[in-house]
Amino acid sequence: MAERYAISKVNVPEGAAVPELVKMKMEKEEKLAEEKKQALAAKQKAREEERAKLKERTVAYEKEYADTAAELVKLRREAKLNGNFFVEPEAKLIFVVRIAGIMKMSPKPRKVLQLLRLKQLHNGVFLKVNKPILNMLKLVQPYVTYGYPSLKTVRELIYKRGFGKVSKQRIPLSSNDIISDALGKHGIHGMEDIIHEIYTVGPNFKQVSNFLWPFKLSSPKGGFVNKRHGYCEARGGDWGNREELINELLGRMN
Amino acid sequence: MATARPVVSIYNFENPSEKTGTMPMPVVLQSPLRPDLVREVHRDMAKNKRQAYAVKPKAGYDTAAASWCTGRAVARIPRAPGGGTHRAGQAAFGNQARGGGMFNPTTVWRRWHRRVNVTKKRHAVACALAASALPPLVMARGHKINQVAELPLVVSDGIQSLTKTKQAKETLKKLGCGEELQKVIDSKSIRAGQGKARNRRYVKRLGPLVIYNEDNGITRAMRNIPGVECAHVDRLNLLRLAPGGSFGRFVIFTEGAFKKLSDIYGTLKSGAPKKKGYTLPRAAMVNADLSRIINSTEVQSVLRPKMERYTHGIKRNALKSKELMEELNPGSTERKAVQQKASQKGTPEYDEVQKKKKARIEESKKYNKEHKKGDETFYKTLMKAFEAKAAADAAKKAAEKAEDEEDEE
Repeated sequence: MAERYAISKVNVPEGAAVPELVKMKMEKEEKLAEEKKQALAAKQKAREEERAKLKERTVAYEKEYADTAAELVKLRREAKLNGNFFVEPEAKLIFVVRIAGIMKMSPKPRKVLQLLRLKQLHNGVFLKVNKPILNMLKLVQPYVTYGYPSLKTVRELIYKRGFGKVSKQRIPLSSNDIISDALGKHGIHGMEDIIHEIYTVGPNFKQVSNFLWPFKLSSPKGGFVNKRHGYCEARGGDWGNREELINELLGRMN
Repeated sequence: MATARPVVSIYNFENPSEKTGTMPMPVVLQSPLRPDLVREVHRDMAKNKRQAYAVKPKAGYDTAAASWCTGRAVARIPRAPGGGTHRAGQAAFGNQARGGGMFNPTTVWRRWHRRVNVTKKRHAVACALAASALPPLVMARGHKINQVAELPLVVSDGIQSLTKTKQAKETLKKLGCGEELQKVIDSKSIRAGQGKARNRRYVKRLGPLVIYNEDNGITRAMRNIPGVECAHVDRLNLLRLAPGGSFGRFVIFTEGAFKKLSDIYGTLKSGAPKKKGYTLPRAAMVNADLSRIINSTEVQSVLRPKMERYTHGIKRNALKSKELMEELNPGSTERKAVQQKASQKGTPEYDEVQKKKKARIEESKKYNKEHKKGDETFYKTLMKAFEAKAAADAAKKAAEKAEDEEDEE
């Protein structure tokens, strides 16, 4: 806190008589400036330590991502070798985008969309896959499209359109300090930590995802197919679960 | 108000450059300044001298007019009856008619006068008196007091016994009011507006107000000097002390009157001896010096230090800005550089990658040689599943064929 002291410099002309109150103020400001300097030095030191740790963690995360991907490949090959079927792991993470506008929305889906923080067209949120969420999505199927984002999509969304909720305000994630202040107590101190927590749906997923303000995406370049119909319909449409193919859409909306 | 009472000099009326004594300032002249109060009270008090005006009660209705109703190709407004004159059949009554009454006729029972609470009136007078003791306010009101020795201007009691206007004028001039009196004379002009035709032809500025205690001729002496007004200290009028609602009239006190102010108004503690149940107004803030209060140690010691505001600047995209990416993801530029190097021929990283690739291809070839020849090819392994059925079908077919051949025979 001391690093944010606002120190005002009082310019006293040479040889002028300094009024009593001005003198008092100058003394006080000097003391605060001293405190501020020390706090800034301490902060700088802490920042360097934090960055070093974050660097290590990031390298570990990248290894983790590569390892999990390699593991899956290995298992698929093994299954094929043995003539078995490899059951792909169920997705843990989904990204939901609101497709419908706000006009003429039935009360129940409207409420569910509010609960999911999808209050505006083309808003997107990360969600954990579990029974309650799937049931909620069932209620709002025709108004959203969702799927399983890839690591690349997650990274790009968070770096390009990542904003955090800081004292109820939508603050851009322009510095790791913002993240550290908000999520430090959950062990999340930087962008890569957020990405890791979201992508691997870690124990603090709820806190991290809630800290992230709902993503405000652009309309997709190249357009939708047909928002009135479901993605899985033969005639072509957009709403509902499009699994991995959400990444293609998000590439055009991000 | 927090300071000790200042002392006011009394000037000799015969020789105004001489001081005959001093007197402490009466507490009433240190009342808090309330221009809003003075304005309000003046506004209401000024209404009390009004004379009623109204149109005649019957104005516009002194005809026996009646509407001709419909069917006669004329508007339905009441029309004057009779014949033989222009007036007959003309519209009457109604504000739109010629010779008709006005809309909402003015009445004499309009509420002309306003009552003001006595305490309010007294507070206003105290406030106006206090303002008259402050040179900037008096100057702001427009009085020329540059030559006046001191404000409040107190003159010895001899002035009350002046009988000749000439003498009074001299005295005032010697007291420094010459410029003021001249201002009044110069300002005489014809009134703008209808008042000029209603016996209020000329207007001029106001000059000093002389407040006396005993009238031994002073009123008669001062009466004819343009701009000068006299008032007895017992009967001070807000309409004279704050003309037009603006306080700061140039006031000249006589010694007796000045002394009597303390007798009339008293102090905050004692109350006003001559005004039953009245105490001078108190200021809302005793110490109105905000900057001194704020910067005092008592206040500053309990405040937290001022903080810089959070500035977040414009959001930049880390995917485009290498600098920002390094800030958010420490070590990313380093890692990227290493990756880049791996695609540049000749670097050790490139060689590493090529080595791995070679090893991979070797592995693959070896595996294929071992597992994907002969019966281990994809097609063969696939068809193995159908072997049993294929064999059964072949056997069935053979059996049928044998039967057919038998039947033929």
